[in-house]
Amino acid sequence: MGVAHLLAGIVVLLFGSVVTFFASQLPYKGEYGPGPGFLPLWIGMALIGCAIAAILKAVRQVDREKERFVQPKTRHVAFIFVTLIVTFLLVPVFGLSLGLALFTGFTMRTAGRHGWILCIATAAVTAAAVRLIFGVMLDIPLPKGVVGL
Amino acid sequence: MDLLSNLLTGFSVALSWQNILFCGLGVLFGQLVGVLPGIGAPTAIALLLPLTFTMNPTTAIIMLAGIYYGVAYGGTITSVLINVPGESSTVMTTLDGYQMALQGRAGPALSVAALGSFIAGTVSVVVLMSFAPILARFALRFGPAEYFGLTAMAFGLLTVMGGGDPVKIIIATLTGLFFATIGIDVVSGLPRFAFGVPELLGGIDPIVIITGMFGIAEVFNSIEEEVRTDVLKAKFRVRDVFLTWQDWVQSRWAVVRGSAIGFLVGMLPAGGITTASFLAYLMEKRVSKTPERFGRGAIEGVAAPESANNAASISGFAPLLALGLPGSPTTAILLAGFMMWGIRPGPMLFQTKPDLVWGLFASMYIGNVMLVLMNIFLIPAFVTVLRIPYTILMGLIVVFSTVGAFSANNNFFDIWMMLGLGVLGYLMKKLNYPVVPLILALVLGKLAENSLRQALTLSGGSMGIFFKRPISAVFVSLAILAYLFPLVQWAIKSRRTRRLAKG
Repeated sequence: MGVAHLLAGIVVLLFGSVVTFFASQLPYKGEYGPGPGFLPLWIGMALIGCAIAAILKAVRQVDREKERFVQPKTRHVAFIFVTLIVTFLLVPVFGLSLGLALFTGFTMRTAGRHGWILCIATAAVTAAAVRLIFGVMLDIPLPKGVVGL
Repeated sequence: MDLLSNLLTGFSVALSWQNILFCGLGVLFGQLVGVLPGIGAPTAIALLLPLTFTMNPTTAIIMLAGIYYGVAYGGTITSVLINVPGESSTVMTTLDGYQMALQGRAGPALSVAALGSFIAGTVSVVVLMSFAPILARFALRFGPAEYFGLTAMAFGLLTVMGGGDPVKIIIATLTGLFFATIGIDVVSGLPRFAFGVPELLGGIDPIVIITGMFGIAEVFNSIEEEVRTDVLKAKFRVRDVFLTWQDWVQSRWAVVRGSAIGFLVGMLPAGGITTASFLAYLMEKRVSKTPERFGRGAIEGVAAPESANNAASISGFAPLLALGLPGSPTTAILLAGFMMWGIRPGPMLFQTKPDLVWGLFASMYIGNVMLVLMNIFLIPAFVTVLRIPYTILMGLIVVFSTVGAFSANNNFFDIWMMLGLGVLGYLMKKLNYPVVPLILALVLGKLAENSLRQALTLSGGSMGIFFKRPISAVFVSLAILAYLFPLVQWAIKSRRTRRLAKG
């Protein structure tokens, strides 16, 4: 975990530098008072300062951290993350309500090892409920896919 | 008399069938959320917020507030019966509550928690109703300098009371402030940090950030931490619930002290209900003549933190409504909800929306009565809910988060943003960067920046304006002290270490 903390500090340093750079492109002063770049510039510089403090602390503690960043279940997180990306990429094909229903059924089957009937039934109820509650009752224009759901 | 007439106005609003129905749904949902480990009050409110887009704002806020204070009741059930706190605010309850359950006294433990919560909640509403308008009248004197001071103080207190690495808390706060600056600057009309992406010109909707960092991130974290929902062994009957006279005598002062501590801590920026329950437990142990009973099934050890967390959840509405300043992640999300409905909480709210404010206060009485009844008669039903596997709940959270993020602007880009922010929230939690300061800074960022710029424009660029006005001077001084506090702490610690090393 020590290396992860160090990397996080470096990412914050980069983030602060980017904020500072783009904020410096904005006017610092306006016609009557501070301009649009005033606060962002200070935010960026403060981020750089805090990042340096975080990096120094991480360097001192890099060997003392016993806990590992990658846990036995981290690959499950990665699996759900990839499944979500695939679900969202497939929305133009299936539509949002059916896409989310397929996600629910798929993860129940793969991550929860539930029976096929329960997974299919839950997916069907999810698709119908999302369409009915959000699409019809709340009138949210949910994206429809090629299949028309 | 004013208070009485306002209360009558409030009850006339709260007693409409829609408001009773949605108050009931809110507290019921809050109880369910509290029972289920892995879903917190902020997540539950974040997920339901988009559903309230088309609702009457008063009804919506009554329901969401019901969820908030209902969660504290629900979390107790798991703390007592299976030693798993459904909510962080009920962690302290596990210490004595579970021990009582092991001794066959789960009923009195749940009962004193419900009764304590009811008393604390009801008394807090009374105090809140008297105190919030005074706070609002006081806040009418606030100008840009005071508002900037107030927000700076809120951010500063987070570093002291946040309970983590101050540097990480400040980084999270700055990140939230940065998110708040994205989009077209209202004063100059210039785009900031949009990088040519048209969807970013209007800024990032707080709902998208909240659904990502509380909904999706919570799914990722819960998968990794393996939420235990299948360890239930206890059997429970309604007749087991009632307290004996001796139980009541033992716990009555714990309820009073817990309520007082909870109310005071709940009002502080970054105070929060978890801190309140923690402090109430410690205080009860300290004043007890038999502190050795604590941790072994002392009924006061359940009564005090439970009363405190409920009192704190109610008193957190005082700064939110009177000053527009949220003190906890849940009230920060509620503030985002207010903004979504086009309402700006603050001193003027009591004059412009009296039906909303007093209707909300009155609904809290009704909600507390509903909760105490639910806690007596529906505990066996809530216990059954615990058996729902997380792999099913996960799907529900993803569905609500995704549709919620989409419905903020009816834009698919927001779904990708939500996913990215979900990953950010997951990594932040893993690396001990707190999410709460980010959310607080995000919802208060615009107020902080606008008041800072207005104050500096008024003073011709002089920072002296923050110290010339007495109220802002107090706020800014407290903010500076809060930011210096970790440095002082570090210096003392280093000196002590050096002294110990010398010998």
